[in-house]
Amino acid sequence: MNNRFMQKFIEIAGRIGSQRHLVAIRDGFVAIMPLVIVGSLAILVNNFPAFGDFKFVEWMNGIFGDGNWQQVGGSIWNGTFAILGLLIAFSIAYNLAKSYSVDGLSAGLISAAAYIMLVPWTGDGGLNAAWMGTQGLFVAIILALILTELFRILVNSKFTIKMPEGVPEGVARSFTALIPATLILILVGLFQALMAVFAEVSVFEVIFTAIQKPLQGLGNTLPAAIIIAFVNHILWFFGLHGTNIIGSVIEPIYLPLIEKNLDLFQGGMSAFDVPYVVTKPFLDSFVFMGGSGTTIALLIAIFIVIRNEQKHPYREVAKLSAPAGLFNINEPVIFGLPIVLNPVMLIPFILVPVTLTIISYVALATGIVPKTVAILPWTTPPILSGYLVTGGSWRGIALQIVNLTVAVLLYIPFVLAGARTLKQRMEGK
Amino acid sequence: MKIILVCSAGMSTSMLVNKMRKSAEERNIEAEIKAVAESELKNNMENLDVVLIGPQVRYLEKKIKEQVEPKGIKAAIIDQMAYGMIQGDKVLDQAINLMK
Repeated sequence: MNNRFMQKFIEIAGRIGSQRHLVAIRDGFVAIMPLVIVGSLAILVNNFPAFGDFKFVEWMNGIFGDGNWQQVGGSIWNGTFAILGLLIAFSIAYNLAKSYSVDGLSAGLISAAAYIMLVPWTGDGGLNAAWMGTQGLFVAIILALILTELFRILVNSKFTIKMPEGVPEGVARSFTALIPATLILILVGLFQALMAVFAEVSVFEVIFTAIQKPLQGLGNTLPAAIIIAFVNHILWFFGLHGTNIIGSVIEPIYLPLIEKNLDLFQGGMSAFDVPYVVTKPFLDSFVFMGGSGTTIALLIAIFIVIRNEQKHPYREVAKLSAPAGLFNINEPVIFGLPIVLNPVMLIPFILVPVTLTIISYVALATGIVPKTVAILPWTTPPILSGYLVTGGSWRGIALQIVNLTVAVLLYIPFVLAGARTLKQRMEGK
Repeated sequence: MKIILVCSAGMSTSMLVNKMRKSAEERNIEAEIKAVAESELKNNMENLDVVLIGPQVRYLEKKIKEQVEPKGIKAAIIDQMAYGMIQGDKVLDQAINLMK
Protein backbone atom coordinates (compact mmCIF):
# COMPACT_ATOMS: atom_id res chain seq x y z
CA MET A 1 0.00 0.00 0.00
CA ASN A 2 1.15 3.49 -0.83
CA ASN A 3 3.20 4.61 2.09
CA ARG A 4 2.76 8.35 1.62
CA PHE A 5 -1.00 7.97 1.46
CA MET A 6 -0.95 5.90 4.62
CA GLN A 7 1.08 8.43 6.55
CA LYS A 8 -1.28 11.17 5.46
CA PHE A 9 -4.29 9.12 6.50
CA ILE A 10 -2.89 8.36 9.93
CA GLU A 11 -1.99 11.99 10.38
CA ILE A 12 -5.47 13.25 9.49
CA ALA A 13 -7.26 10.61 11.53
CA GLY A 14 -4.91 11.40 14.36
CA ARG A 15 -5.62 15.09 14.16
CA ILE A 16 -9.35 14.39 14.36
CA GLY A 17 -8.78 11.89 17.16
CA SER A 18 -6.87 14.37 19.26
CA GLN A 19 -8.82 17.52 18.38
CA ARG A 20 -9.38 19.29 21.68
CA HIS A 21 -13.13 19.91 21.49
CA LEU A 22 -13.93 16.46 20.14
CA VAL A 23 -11.81 14.89 22.88
CA ALA A 24 -13.66 16.97 25.48
CA ILE A 25 -17.01 15.77 24.12
CA ARG A 26 -15.86 12.17 24.08
CA ASP A 27 -14.37 12.29 27.57
CA GLY A 28 -17.48 14.08 28.80
CA PHE A 29 -19.56 11.14 27.68
CA VAL A 30 -17.06 8.63 29.04
CA ALA A 31 -17.29 10.33 32.42
CA ILE A 32 -21.06 9.89 32.73
CA MET A 33 -20.98 6.27 31.53
CA PRO A 34 -21.14 4.78 35.05
CA LEU A 35 -24.34 6.73 35.74
CA VAL A 36 -25.78 5.74 32.38
CA ILE A 37 -25.08 2.06 33.01
CA VAL A 38 -26.54 2.14 36.52
CA GLY A 39 -29.64 3.91 35.22
CA SER A 40 -30.02 1.31 32.52
CA LEU A 41 -29.57 -1.60 34.94
CA ALA A 42 -32.21 -0.09 37.21
CA ILE A 43 -34.69 -0.23 34.33
CA LEU A 44 -33.68 -3.79 33.53
CA VAL A 45 -34.25 -4.92 37.12
CA ASN A 46 -37.59 -3.11 37.29
CA ASN A 47 -38.76 -4.89 34.15
CA PHE A 48 -36.98 -8.19 34.62
CA PRO A 49 -38.23 -10.98 32.35
CA ALA A 50 -39.84 -14.09 33.80
CA PHE A 51 -37.74 -17.25 34.04
CA GLY A 52 -40.28 -19.95 33.24
CA ASP A 53 -42.64 -19.86 36.18
CA PHE A 54 -40.51 -17.57 38.31
CA LYS A 55 -41.71 -14.02 37.79
CA PHE A 56 -39.23 -11.79 39.59
CA VAL A 57 -41.20 -8.56 39.21
CA GLU A 58 -44.46 -10.07 40.50
CA TRP A 59 -42.61 -11.78 43.33
CA MET A 60 -41.05 -8.52 44.49
CA ASN A 61 -44.38 -6.73 44.16
CA GLY A 62 -45.90 -9.46 46.33
CA ILE A 63 -43.42 -8.69 49.10
CA PHE A 64 -43.31 -4.89 49.03
CA GLY A 65 -46.71 -4.05 47.61
CA ASP A 66 -47.39 -3.06 44.06
CA GLY A 67 -44.74 -0.78 42.60
CA ASN A 68 -43.11 0.15 45.91
CA TRP A 69 -39.75 -1.51 45.39
CA GLN A 70 -39.65 -0.28 41.80
CA GLN A 71 -39.40 3.24 43.14
CA VAL A 72 -35.74 2.53 43.84
CA GLY A 73 -35.05 1.93 40.16
CA GLY A 74 -37.35 4.78 39.21
CA SER A 75 -35.50 7.30 41.31
CA ILE A 76 -32.16 6.04 40.00
CA TRP A 77 -33.51 6.80 36.53
CA ASN A 78 -34.49 10.29 37.63
CA GLY A 79 -31.00 11.01 38.88
CA THR A 80 -29.21 9.63 35.84
CA PHE A 81 -30.96 9.47 32.45
CA ALA A 82 -33.55 12.08 33.29
CA ILE A 83 -30.86 14.75 33.78
CA LEU A 84 -28.27 13.65 31.20
CA GLY A 85 -28.31 17.07 29.53
CA LEU A 86 -27.32 18.77 32.75
CA LEU A 87 -24.64 16.17 33.54
CA ILE A 88 -23.14 16.50 30.07
CA ALA A 89 -23.13 20.30 30.27
CA PHE A 90 -20.96 19.94 33.35
CA SER A 91 -18.67 17.14 32.28
CA ILE A 92 -17.80 18.47 28.81
CA ALA A 93 -17.06 21.95 30.17
CA TYR A 94 -14.93 20.38 32.90
CA ASN A 95 -12.91 18.32 30.43
CA LEU A 96 -12.44 21.15 27.95
CA ALA A 97 -11.25 23.53 30.68
CA LYS A 98 -8.85 20.86 31.97
CA SER A 99 -7.37 20.50 28.49
CA TYR A 100 -6.55 24.23 28.60
CA SER A 101 -5.19 23.80 32.13
CA VAL A 102 -7.73 26.26 33.51
CA ASP A 103 -10.04 25.60 36.46
CA GLY A 104 -12.26 22.70 35.32
CA LEU A 105 -14.54 22.69 38.33
CA SER A 106 -15.51 26.35 37.90
CA ALA A 107 -16.04 25.94 34.16
CA GLY A 108 -18.25 22.90 34.77
CA LEU A 109 -20.34 24.68 37.38
CA ILE A 110 -20.83 27.75 35.18
CA SER A 111 -21.91 25.59 32.27
CA ALA A 112 -24.38 23.65 34.46
CA ALA A 113 -25.80 26.90 35.85
CA ALA A 114 -26.23 28.33 32.36
CA TYR A 115 -27.95 25.15 31.22
CA ILE A 116 -30.56 25.47 33.97
CA MET A 117 -31.02 29.16 33.08
CA LEU A 118 -32.03 28.20 29.56
CA VAL A 119 -34.32 25.25 30.38
CA PRO A 120 -37.95 26.20 29.69
CA TRP A 121 -40.37 26.32 32.62
CA THR A 122 -43.66 24.52 32.94
CA GLY A 123 -46.95 26.34 33.50
CA ASP A 124 -46.91 25.75 37.24
CA GLY A 125 -43.41 27.09 37.73
CA GLY A 126 -41.23 24.00 37.60
CA LEU A 127 -38.33 23.12 35.34
CA ASN A 128 -39.57 21.31 32.26
CA ALA A 129 -38.12 17.85 32.82
CA ALA A 130 -38.33 16.96 29.13
CA TRP A 131 -35.38 19.24 28.40
CA MET A 132 -33.20 18.08 31.29
CA GLY A 133 -32.49 14.74 29.69
CA THR A 134 -31.21 13.61 26.32
CA GLN A 135 -33.49 15.96 24.39
CA GLY A 136 -31.26 18.75 25.62
CA LEU A 137 -28.03 16.98 24.78
CA PHE A 138 -27.01 19.16 21.84
CA VAL A 139 -27.76 22.36 23.73
CA ALA A 140 -25.59 21.01 26.53
CA ILE A 141 -22.70 20.28 24.17
CA ILE A 142 -22.85 23.62 22.36
CA LEU A 143 -23.24 25.52 25.62
CA ALA A 144 -20.36 23.73 27.33
CA LEU A 145 -17.99 24.37 24.40
CA ILE A 146 -18.86 28.05 23.89
CA LEU A 147 -18.99 29.02 27.55
CA THR A 148 -15.76 27.25 28.38
CA GLU A 149 -13.99 29.04 25.53
CA LEU A 150 -15.33 32.32 26.93
CA PHE A 151 -14.31 31.31 30.44
CA ARG A 152 -10.79 30.48 29.31
CA ILE A 153 -10.39 33.78 27.51
CA LEU A 154 -11.72 35.75 30.50
CA VAL A 155 -9.66 33.87 33.09
CA ASN A 156 -6.50 34.50 31.11
CA SER A 157 -7.39 38.17 30.69
CA LYS A 158 -7.22 41.09 33.12
CA PHE A 159 -10.81 40.54 34.28
CA THR A 160 -9.94 38.48 37.32
CA ILE A 161 -9.45 39.20 40.97
CA LYS A 162 -5.96 38.26 42.08
CA MET A 163 -5.76 37.33 45.75
CA PRO A 164 -2.63 38.13 47.76
CA GLU A 165 -0.24 35.33 48.55
CA GLY A 166 -1.11 33.12 51.49
CA VAL A 167 -4.81 32.88 50.63
CA PRO A 168 -5.76 29.19 50.43
CA GLU A 169 -5.86 27.91 46.86
CA GLY A 170 -9.54 26.94 46.92
CA VAL A 171 -10.54 30.43 47.99
CA ALA A 172 -8.25 32.13 45.49
CA ARG A 173 -9.64 29.97 42.73
CA SER A 174 -13.24 30.81 43.43
CA PHE A 175 -12.36 34.52 43.35
CA THR A 176 -10.50 34.10 40.08
CA ALA A 177 -13.66 32.62 38.62
CA LEU A 178 -15.95 35.29 40.06
CA ILE A 179 -15.78 37.97 37.37
CA PRO A 180 -15.70 35.54 34.41
CA ALA A 181 -18.69 33.69 35.90
CA THR A 182 -20.60 36.95 36.41
CA LEU A 183 -20.00 38.12 32.84
CA ILE A 184 -20.85 34.76 31.31
CA LEU A 185 -24.06 34.26 33.25
CA ILE A 186 -25.25 37.81 32.48
CA LEU A 187 -24.64 37.12 28.79
CA VAL A 188 -26.60 33.86 28.99
CA GLY A 189 -29.39 35.65 30.84
CA LEU A 190 -29.58 38.38 28.18
CA PHE A 191 -29.63 35.78 25.47
CA GLN A 192 -32.43 33.93 27.22
CA ALA A 193 -34.48 37.11 27.60
CA LEU A 194 -33.97 38.10 23.96
CA MET A 195 -35.03 34.65 22.77
CA ALA A 196 -38.12 34.71 24.98
CA VAL A 197 -39.22 38.24 24.05
CA PHE A 198 -38.43 38.43 20.35
CA ALA A 199 -38.42 34.86 19.11
CA GLU A 200 -40.89 33.56 21.69
CA VAL A 201 -39.24 30.19 21.47
CA SER A 202 -36.78 28.31 23.60
CA VAL A 203 -33.25 27.68 22.33
CA PHE A 204 -33.80 24.06 23.35
CA GLU A 205 -36.64 23.62 20.88
CA VAL A 206 -34.75 25.39 18.11
CA ILE A 207 -31.65 23.24 18.41
CA PHE A 208 -33.60 20.05 18.96
CA THR A 209 -35.70 20.43 15.81
CA ALA A 210 -32.96 21.95 13.66
CA ILE A 211 -30.02 19.72 14.55
CA GLN A 212 -30.68 16.89 16.95
CA LYS A 213 -33.84 15.40 15.48
CA PRO A 214 -32.66 15.19 11.85
CA LEU A 215 -29.34 13.67 12.95
CA GLN A 216 -31.14 11.08 15.06
CA GLY A 217 -33.42 10.23 12.16
CA LEU A 218 -30.37 9.67 9.98
CA GLY A 219 -28.66 7.70 12.71
CA ASN A 220 -31.43 5.13 12.93
CA THR A 221 -30.96 3.96 9.33
CA LEU A 222 -29.12 0.96 7.94
CA PRO A 223 -26.75 3.05 5.79
CA ALA A 224 -25.68 5.02 8.88
CA ALA A 225 -25.01 1.80 10.80
CA ILE A 226 -22.99 0.43 7.88
CA ILE A 227 -20.97 3.64 7.58
CA ILE A 228 -20.13 3.53 11.28
CA ALA A 229 -19.06 -0.10 11.09
CA PHE A 230 -17.01 0.64 7.97
CA VAL A 231 -15.22 3.75 9.24
CA ASN A 232 -14.48 2.15 12.60
CA HIS A 233 -12.81 -0.84 10.99
CA ILE A 234 -10.87 1.12 8.39
CA LEU A 235 -9.37 3.11 11.26
CA TRP A 236 -8.52 -0.05 13.20
CA PHE A 237 -6.97 -1.56 10.09
CA PHE A 238 -4.52 1.32 10.11
CA GLY A 239 -3.86 0.55 13.76
CA LEU A 240 -5.86 3.49 15.09
CA HIS A 241 -8.40 3.28 17.86
CA GLY A 242 -11.54 3.55 15.70
CA THR A 243 -14.19 3.61 18.42
CA ASN A 244 -12.21 6.26 20.23
CA ILE A 245 -11.84 8.52 17.22
CA ILE A 246 -15.47 8.44 16.10
CA GLY A 247 -16.84 8.32 19.66
CA SER A 248 -17.39 12.06 19.88
CA VAL A 249 -19.72 11.92 16.89
CA ILE A 250 -21.47 8.65 17.76
CA GLU A 251 -22.36 9.27 21.40
CA PRO A 252 -24.40 12.50 21.08
CA ILE A 253 -26.46 11.04 18.26
CA TYR A 254 -27.03 7.57 19.61
CA LEU A 255 -27.41 8.08 23.34
CA PRO A 256 -30.84 9.77 22.93
CA LEU A 257 -32.03 6.85 20.78
CA ILE A 258 -31.30 4.20 23.37
CA GLU A 259 -32.68 6.51 26.05
CA LYS A 260 -36.00 6.67 24.20
CA ASN A 261 -36.07 2.87 23.95
CA LEU A 262 -35.28 2.53 27.65
CA ASP A 263 -37.87 5.07 28.66
CA LEU A 264 -40.66 3.39 26.71
CA PHE A 265 -39.54 -0.05 27.93
CA GLN A 266 -39.72 1.28 31.45
CA GLY A 267 -43.25 2.47 30.77
CA GLY A 268 -44.31 -1.08 29.96
CA MET A 269 -43.79 -1.22 26.19
CA SER A 270 -42.37 -4.51 24.94
CA ALA A 271 -38.82 -4.57 23.59
CA PHE A 272 -40.26 -5.54 20.20
CA ASP A 273 -42.23 -2.33 19.95
CA VAL A 274 -39.69 0.30 21.04
CA PRO A 275 -38.81 2.56 18.10
CA TYR A 276 -35.08 2.53 17.48
CA VAL A 277 -33.09 -0.28 15.85
CA VAL A 278 -29.63 1.24 15.60
CA THR A 279 -28.09 2.10 18.96
CA LYS A 280 -24.64 1.76 20.39
CA PRO A 281 -25.59 -1.36 22.40
CA PHE A 282 -26.93 -2.75 19.11
CA LEU A 283 -23.47 -2.47 17.56
CA ASP A 284 -21.63 -3.55 20.72
CA SER A 285 -23.75 -6.65 21.30
CA PHE A 286 -24.53 -7.94 17.83
CA VAL A 287 -21.59 -6.75 15.73
CA PHE A 288 -18.49 -5.99 17.80
CA MET A 289 -18.50 -9.34 19.57
CA GLY A 290 -15.06 -9.95 21.00
CA GLY A 291 -14.14 -6.41 20.00
CA SER A 292 -14.02 -4.54 16.68
CA GLY A 293 -13.94 -6.91 13.72
CA THR A 294 -15.94 -9.51 15.65
CA THR A 295 -12.53 -10.97 16.40
CA ILE A 296 -13.94 -13.62 18.71
CA ALA A 297 -15.09 -15.31 15.49
CA LEU A 298 -11.58 -14.94 14.09
CA LEU A 299 -10.17 -16.71 17.15
CA ILE A 300 -12.68 -19.55 16.73
CA ALA A 301 -11.81 -19.76 13.02
CA ILE A 302 -8.11 -20.05 13.91
CA PHE A 303 -8.78 -22.83 16.43
CA ILE A 304 -10.83 -24.68 13.78
CA VAL A 305 -8.33 -24.27 10.92
CA ILE A 306 -5.14 -24.86 12.88
CA ARG A 307 -5.83 -27.86 15.06
CA ASN A 308 -2.66 -29.88 14.79
CA GLU A 309 0.25 -27.48 14.96
CA GLN A 310 0.27 -26.46 18.59
CA LYS A 311 3.13 -24.01 18.08
CA HIS A 312 1.70 -22.30 15.01
CA PRO A 313 2.05 -18.52 15.39
CA TYR A 314 -1.66 -17.94 14.65
CA ARG A 315 -2.64 -20.44 17.32
CA GLU A 316 -0.27 -18.85 19.80
CA VAL A 317 -1.81 -15.42 19.22
CA ALA A 318 -5.32 -16.85 19.41
CA LYS A 319 -4.60 -18.62 22.70
CA LEU A 320 -3.12 -15.47 24.15
CA SER A 321 -6.01 -13.33 22.96
CA ALA A 322 -8.87 -15.60 23.97
CA PRO A 323 -9.29 -14.69 27.67
CA ALA A 324 -9.43 -10.94 27.04
CA GLY A 325 -11.41 -11.55 23.86
CA LEU A 326 -14.31 -12.93 25.88
CA PHE A 327 -14.61 -9.46 27.35
CA ASN A 328 -14.40 -7.76 23.96
CA ILE A 329 -10.81 -6.60 24.41
CA ASN A 330 -8.89 -7.46 21.28
CA GLU A 331 -5.70 -5.45 20.98
CA PRO A 332 -3.59 -8.61 21.26
CA VAL A 333 -5.09 -10.16 18.13
CA ILE A 334 -5.29 -6.85 16.25
CA PHE A 335 -1.62 -6.04 16.78
CA GLY A 336 -0.26 -9.54 17.34
CA LEU A 337 -1.67 -11.52 14.44
CA PRO A 338 -1.50 -8.82 13.09
CA ILE A 339 -4.64 -7.48 11.49
CA VAL A 340 -3.15 -4.01 11.25
CA LEU A 341 -1.92 -3.36 7.69
CA ASN A 342 -2.25 -7.05 6.86
CA PRO A 343 -3.72 -7.16 3.34
CA VAL A 344 -5.06 -10.71 3.79
CA MET A 345 -7.07 -9.71 6.82
CA LEU A 346 -8.36 -6.40 5.47
CA ILE A 347 -11.26 -7.96 3.57
CA PRO A 348 -12.81 -10.10 6.34
CA PHE A 349 -12.06 -7.51 9.00
CA ILE A 350 -14.39 -5.09 7.21
CA LEU A 351 -16.67 -7.58 5.48
CA VAL A 352 -17.64 -9.44 8.66
CA PRO A 353 -18.85 -6.47 10.72
CA VAL A 354 -20.67 -4.92 7.76
CA THR A 355 -22.42 -8.23 7.02
CA LEU A 356 -23.38 -8.68 10.66
CA THR A 357 -24.71 -5.13 10.81
CA ILE A 358 -27.02 -5.89 7.90
CA ILE A 359 -28.19 -9.24 9.33
CA SER A 360 -28.84 -7.74 12.75
CA TYR A 361 -30.61 -4.71 11.34
CA VAL A 362 -32.96 -6.90 9.34
CA ALA A 363 -33.58 -9.21 12.31
CA LEU A 364 -34.52 -6.30 14.58
CA ALA A 365 -36.35 -4.20 12.04
CA THR A 366 -38.61 -7.07 10.98
CA GLY A 367 -39.40 -7.91 14.59
CA ILE A 368 -37.79 -11.34 14.69
CA VAL A 369 -35.52 -10.19 17.51
CA PRO A 370 -36.44 -7.56 20.15
CA LYS A 371 -34.68 -4.20 19.96
CA THR A 372 -32.07 -2.99 22.42
CA VAL A 373 -33.38 -1.77 25.75
CA ALA A 374 -30.28 -1.80 27.96
CA ILE A 375 -26.87 -0.17 28.04
CA LEU A 376 -24.22 -2.58 29.17
CA PRO A 377 -20.55 -2.08 29.90
CA TRP A 378 -18.88 -2.78 26.56
CA THR A 379 -16.87 -5.51 28.26
CA THR A 380 -19.98 -7.68 28.81
CA PRO A 381 -19.25 -11.08 27.17
CA PRO A 382 -21.32 -12.13 24.13
CA ILE A 383 -24.32 -14.42 24.84
CA LEU A 384 -24.82 -12.71 28.21
CA SER A 385 -24.92 -9.36 26.42
CA GLY A 386 -27.38 -10.65 23.80
CA TYR A 387 -29.73 -11.75 26.55
CA LEU A 388 -29.54 -8.61 28.66
CA VAL A 389 -29.51 -6.06 25.86
CA THR A 390 -32.85 -7.29 24.50
CA GLY A 391 -34.46 -7.00 27.92
CA GLY A 392 -33.96 -10.70 28.63
CA SER A 393 -34.84 -12.49 25.41
CA TRP A 394 -33.39 -15.78 24.17
CA ARG A 395 -33.83 -14.38 20.66
CA GLY A 396 -31.02 -11.95 21.40
CA ILE A 397 -28.75 -14.91 22.14
CA ALA A 398 -29.97 -16.70 19.03
CA LEU A 399 -29.07 -13.73 16.85
CA GLN A 400 -25.60 -13.60 18.40
CA ILE A 401 -25.07 -17.29 17.66
CA VAL A 402 -26.24 -16.88 14.07
CA ASN A 403 -23.95 -13.87 13.69
CA LEU A 404 -20.98 -15.69 15.19
CA THR A 405 -21.51 -18.65 12.87
CA VAL A 406 -21.64 -16.40 9.82
CA ALA A 407 -18.55 -14.55 11.01
CA VAL A 408 -16.56 -17.75 11.62
CA LEU A 409 -17.48 -19.06 8.15
CA LEU A 410 -16.40 -15.77 6.57
CA TYR A 411 -13.09 -15.73 8.45
CA ILE A 412 -12.08 -19.35 7.74
CA PRO A 413 -10.95 -18.93 4.09
CA PHE A 414 -8.86 -15.92 5.06
CA VAL A 415 -7.24 -17.72 7.96
CA LEU A 416 -6.34 -20.53 5.53
CA ALA A 417 -4.90 -18.01 3.07
CA GLY A 418 -3.05 -16.14 5.81
CA ALA A 419 -1.55 -19.35 7.18
CA ARG A 420 -0.40 -20.34 3.68
CA THR A 421 1.32 -17.00 3.06
CA LEU A 422 2.96 -17.22 6.45
CA LYS A 423 4.25 -20.73 5.68
CA GLN A 424 5.61 -19.69 2.28
CA ARG A 425 7.40 -16.78 3.83
CA MET A 426 8.95 -18.91 6.56
CA GLU A 427 10.09 -21.58 4.09
CA GLY A 428 11.40 -18.92 1.72
CA LYS A 429 13.86 -17.78 4.35
CA MET B 1 13.16 4.15 36.80
CA LYS B 2 9.63 5.23 36.14
CA ILE B 3 7.83 4.18 32.97
CA ILE B 4 4.38 5.27 31.87
CA LEU B 5 2.36 3.63 29.14
CA VAL B 6 -0.21 5.78 27.41
CA CYS B 7 -3.17 4.17 25.73
CA SER B 8 -6.87 4.86 25.26
CA ALA B 9 -8.98 3.16 27.86
CA GLY B 10 -6.15 1.52 29.79
CA MET B 11 -7.62 -1.96 29.31
CA SER B 12 -5.30 -4.00 27.17
CA THR B 13 -2.26 -2.00 28.17
CA SER B 14 -2.70 -2.97 31.80
CA MET B 15 -2.11 -6.61 30.87
CA LEU B 16 1.17 -5.55 29.30
CA VAL B 17 2.06 -3.54 32.40
CA ASN B 18 1.69 -6.63 34.58
CA LYS B 19 4.03 -8.59 32.30
CA MET B 20 6.57 -5.77 32.35
CA ARG B 21 6.52 -5.59 36.13
CA LYS B 22 7.10 -9.32 36.36
CA SER B 23 9.96 -9.06 33.91
CA ALA B 24 11.53 -6.20 35.85
CA GLU B 25 11.24 -8.18 39.05
CA GLU B 26 12.92 -11.21 37.52
CA ARG B 27 15.80 -9.08 36.32
CA ASN B 28 16.09 -7.23 39.61
CA ILE B 29 15.38 -3.89 38.00
CA GLU B 30 13.68 -1.41 40.24
CA ALA B 31 10.98 0.10 38.10
CA GLU B 32 7.70 1.86 38.61
CA ILE B 33 5.47 1.01 35.66
CA LYS B 34 1.92 2.06 35.07
CA ALA B 35 -0.63 2.72 32.34
CA VAL B 36 -2.64 5.93 32.14
CA ALA B 37 -4.97 7.66 29.70
CA GLU B 38 -3.44 10.47 27.68
CA SER B 39 -5.29 13.14 29.64
CA GLU B 40 -3.76 11.84 32.88
CA LEU B 41 -0.20 12.04 31.65
CA LYS B 42 0.42 15.56 32.85
CA ASN B 43 -0.38 14.55 36.42
CA ASN B 44 2.23 11.81 36.33
CA MET B 45 5.28 13.68 35.14
CA GLU B 46 7.20 13.64 38.39
CA ASN B 47 10.45 11.64 38.24
CA LEU B 48 9.25 10.20 34.97
CA ASP B 49 11.89 8.64 32.72
CA VAL B 50 10.12 7.08 29.77
CA VAL B 51 6.71 7.38 28.12
CA LEU B 52 5.65 4.48 25.92
CA ILE B 53 2.75 5.09 23.56
CA GLY B 54 0.31 2.32 22.63
CA PRO B 55 0.28 1.68 18.89
CA GLN B 56 -3.47 2.34 18.64
CA VAL B 57 -2.97 5.92 19.77
CA ARG B 58 0.20 6.48 17.76
CA TYR B 59 -1.26 9.75 16.50
CA LEU B 60 -0.55 11.19 19.94
CA GLU B 61 3.19 10.75 19.45
CA LYS B 62 3.93 14.29 18.33
CA LYS B 63 1.79 15.87 21.01
CA ILE B 64 3.28 13.76 23.78
CA LYS B 65 6.84 14.30 22.61
CA GLU B 66 6.30 18.06 22.62
CA GLN B 67 4.95 17.73 26.11
CA VAL B 68 7.67 15.58 27.69
CA GLU B 69 10.88 15.94 25.72
CA PRO B 70 11.71 19.45 26.97
CA LYS B 71 11.81 17.86 30.43
CA GLY B 72 14.31 15.26 29.31
CA ILE B 73 11.74 12.49 29.30
CA LYS B 74 12.02 9.99 26.46
CA ALA B 75 8.98 8.92 24.47
CA ALA B 76 8.35 6.30 21.79
CA ILE B 77 5.63 4.13 20.29
CA ILE B 78 5.57 0.57 21.60
CA ASP B 79 6.69 -2.01 19.08
CA GLN B 80 3.45 -3.23 17.58
CA MET B 81 4.19 -6.95 17.61
CA ALA B 82 5.54 -6.90 21.13
CA TYR B 83 2.43 -5.01 22.18
CA GLY B 84 0.09 -7.45 20.50
CA MET B 85 1.81 -10.52 21.90
CA ILE B 86 2.03 -8.89 25.33
CA GLN B 87 5.79 -9.44 25.49
CA GLY B 88 6.59 -7.62 28.70
CA ASP B 89 10.32 -8.25 28.57
CA LYS B 90 10.68 -6.89 25.04
CA VAL B 91 8.80 -3.72 25.85
CA LEU B 92 10.85 -3.31 29.00
CA ASP B 93 13.99 -3.65 26.86
CA GLN B 94 12.62 -0.95 24.59
CA ALA B 95 12.20 1.37 27.57
CA ILE B 96 15.68 0.63 28.87
CA ASN B 97 17.23 1.23 25.46
CA LEU B 98 15.45 4.55 25.22
CA MET B 99 17.06 5.70 28.43
CA LYS B 100 20.57 4.97 27.23
